[in-house]
Amino acid sequence: MKKLMLGNEAVARGAWEGGVSFGSGYPGTPSTEILEYLVKYDDVTVQWAPNEKVGYEVSVGVSLAGRRALVTMKHVGLNVAADPFFSSSYMGVNGGLVCVSADDPGMHSSQDEQDNRLLAKAAKVLMVEPSDVEECRWMTKEAFSLSEEFDSPVLLRMTTRVCHQTGVVHPEEKIVLPEKKFVKDIPKYVLLPSNARERRHKVEERLKNAMKFGNESDKWNPIFRKGNKIGVITSGVAFGYVYELMSDEASIMKIGLTNPLPLERMKRFAESVEKLYVVEELEPYIEEALKAMGIKVFGSELRPYTGELNLTIVEKMLKGKESTKVTIDLSDAKINQRPPTLCPGCSHRGMFTIFRDMGLKVMGDIGCYTLGAINPLKSMDSCMCMGASVGMAEGLDKFGGEGVSGKTVGVIGDSTFFHSGITGLIDMVVNKSKATLVILDNRLTAMTGGQPHPGTGMDMKGNESPRIDLVELCKAVGVKRVRVIDPYNLEEIKEVLEEDLKAEEVSVIIAKAPCVLGFKVKLGNVVEVNVDLCTRCGKCIRVGCMAIGEKDGYPVIDENLCNGCGVCVQVCEPSALAFKKQN
Amino acid sequence: MNIVNIMLSGVGGQGILTSGRVLALAALDKGLDVKMSEVHGMSQRGGNVDSHIRIGESVPSSLIPKGGADYLISFELMEGLRYLDYLKPEGRAIISKLKITPLSSNLKKGASYPENIEEMILQKAPKAKLIEAEKIAKELGDIRMVNIILLGAMSKDFTLLEKSNFENAIKQRFSPKVAPLCLKAFERGIENG
Repeated sequence: MKKLMLGNEAVARGAWEGGVSFGSGYPGTPSTEILEYLVKYDDVTVQWAPNEKVGYEVSVGVSLAGRRALVTMKHVGLNVAADPFFSSSYMGVNGGLVCVSADDPGMHSSQDEQDNRLLAKAAKVLMVEPSDVEECRWMTKEAFSLSEEFDSPVLLRMTTRVCHQTGVVHPEEKIVLPEKKFVKDIPKYVLLPSNARERRHKVEERLKNAMKFGNESDKWNPIFRKGNKIGVITSGVAFGYVYELMSDEASIMKIGLTNPLPLERMKRFAESVEKLYVVEELEPYIEEALKAMGIKVFGSELRPYTGELNLTIVEKMLKGKESTKVTIDLSDAKINQRPPTLCPGCSHRGMFTIFRDMGLKVMGDIGCYTLGAINPLKSMDSCMCMGASVGMAEGLDKFGGEGVSGKTVGVIGDSTFFHSGITGLIDMVVNKSKATLVILDNRLTAMTGGQPHPGTGMDMKGNESPRIDLVELCKAVGVKRVRVIDPYNLEEIKEVLEEDLKAEEVSVIIAKAPCVLGFKVKLGNVVEVNVDLCTRCGKCIRVGCMAIGEKDGYPVIDENLCNGCGVCVQVCEPSALAFKKQN
Repeated sequence: MNIVNIMLSGVGGQGILTSGRVLALAALDKGLDVKMSEVHGMSQRGGNVDSHIRIGESVPSSLIPKGGADYLISFELMEGLRYLDYLKPEGRAIISKLKITPLSSNLKKGASYPENIEEMILQKAPKAKLIEAEKIAKELGDIRMVNIILLGAMSKDFTLLEKSNFENAIKQRFSPKVAPLCLKAFERGIENG
């Protein structure tokens, strides 16, 4: 039976068909939905981890127990999990272990567009790359077998356009696996240097065997033969563009098992055609392997080094022309940007309004609150990677000098704090920082769609689970000044910030209010404007709320959007804005 | 390879991904291949959202190039204008006559919305159909029906799929409680297409 599925859903399906027992990971676009689909299968244990490293390590444990495990993350998540990822390569597996890295060419929702194929190569693990939704299903399923056969973790490398592609799949039944148990094997699983040196040879042997397999595999690395004039080697989402444009006039080799690359097969293919192209997104990964063998190939010089490919770019690469032309000219149309914004009623809005108005230096972090950097709030001075706000605030505060030291705050969401902020806070304490850390506690991993985290008190299935108390946690690592504030009370935010910034020790401010979107919170009556009192100062509009518009130079409230948070009411000095009386 | 390209655009939260799904299910119901591409993540935060849908006997790739869309279905006027250059010269636009103003940051700068936008759309794409989808949805008693109304309007001259394919897709996608209203909304869309 044919079914329509999202790529990420098909990965979950494939994992289930392949007999996976366990799934873990940390939410991150474009990977998040994989575990959200996997949790729907009752015979699989699925859980969010506080970060990718932990998720990876739990999965390695499951593998040692003889069971198959899937761990999912976005590309930058693999940086966090890189330590166990690299070392687990030396250990190999017991039950199959598949790690999904969802890369984001074009940076739709990421801070960089690193190409994690290079990480698979560096870690010397097997890597597979689906090019469409049906391949998401069967490649995931088969990846577990590859993992066990070659005694290697397998990196399932995806990209945004595969993860978030919907297409037709042919689901199969779940396979029955023979029972496996934990086996004590110190030379394999204890990576003492002496053992690791032995394992290093096993790693090399595995890659050699896997390359031999790839060289012979029509299933993983198929060739679509059409003449010998032009040959194209491609993989992942790029295959679709190539096949659509060239299947009638070129021979095409699709590489599905991309580490180790099937060098001998690639070489034979190259020799069989007059002109060879490589079409791949981001780094010239396949291309460099060909060039290292002394093969002449066209590729990266014909395409942009950044961003996604599409039919137009690939057609220009391979045919030197564009058959699809833009005929409607929009250059005279003044179309404004429509950037995403904090939701009406969001508990972060008041915080960022005060940060801006106090002129603070804000070391930000990854989450919804990164939107605090966008006009008109513009009150974030950095956002680098998960958890970085804490250490960066400590460093900037220590060496910033006048106007910066004592005016610096780190701002981090609760989920991000659990992910990788705790160690930064420990550093602040033991190294006697005087900086202030603000934890925005909305009880969800909000940006990725509201997943539970260690502070939510709920698991993925909605069952109650232990809840880590942020105040106690901060106190336990040695912070003496920990205060919980109401992020809707602008006076309180300002007062507490002023006191804590002056303090000669680390301070933590926990701004606590549930995510209005995730928990469907209605805060209060809608706001109305008394035009007679309005001085058109514009302070209300600069809180950056979708519910506040402009008409004839005066603010107007969209009652359908207003959540009644009252941030605009509090910034309005002439009291032109007020909550509407209930009828 | 004959592939029909449909571009959907609008503002996050308008139900764009849902209509894309219904369209894709309708294609599957007809026994055709379909690929749809969308970007998740920021979609609930008021940013613009698009979805590419490609239907045919065999569809190898999922993104529609600019100038390559046979249809543009837009849920909002400015998002209709923004994606207008995706249309082929003979392509057809179906656009909801709804204005959602993007976030303003200044009271004194004036409107942040293009003036005379309906005229501009019609001047650039004379065959564009502008529809009071929101008004019709309100008449039906459920504002969420906008996406189905627009699909209905688009289906009118969409010869690749039968009406029954859409109806089956609606019944698959929505609960038995909501489906009858969706079917009604689909009819109203056809009437206004």
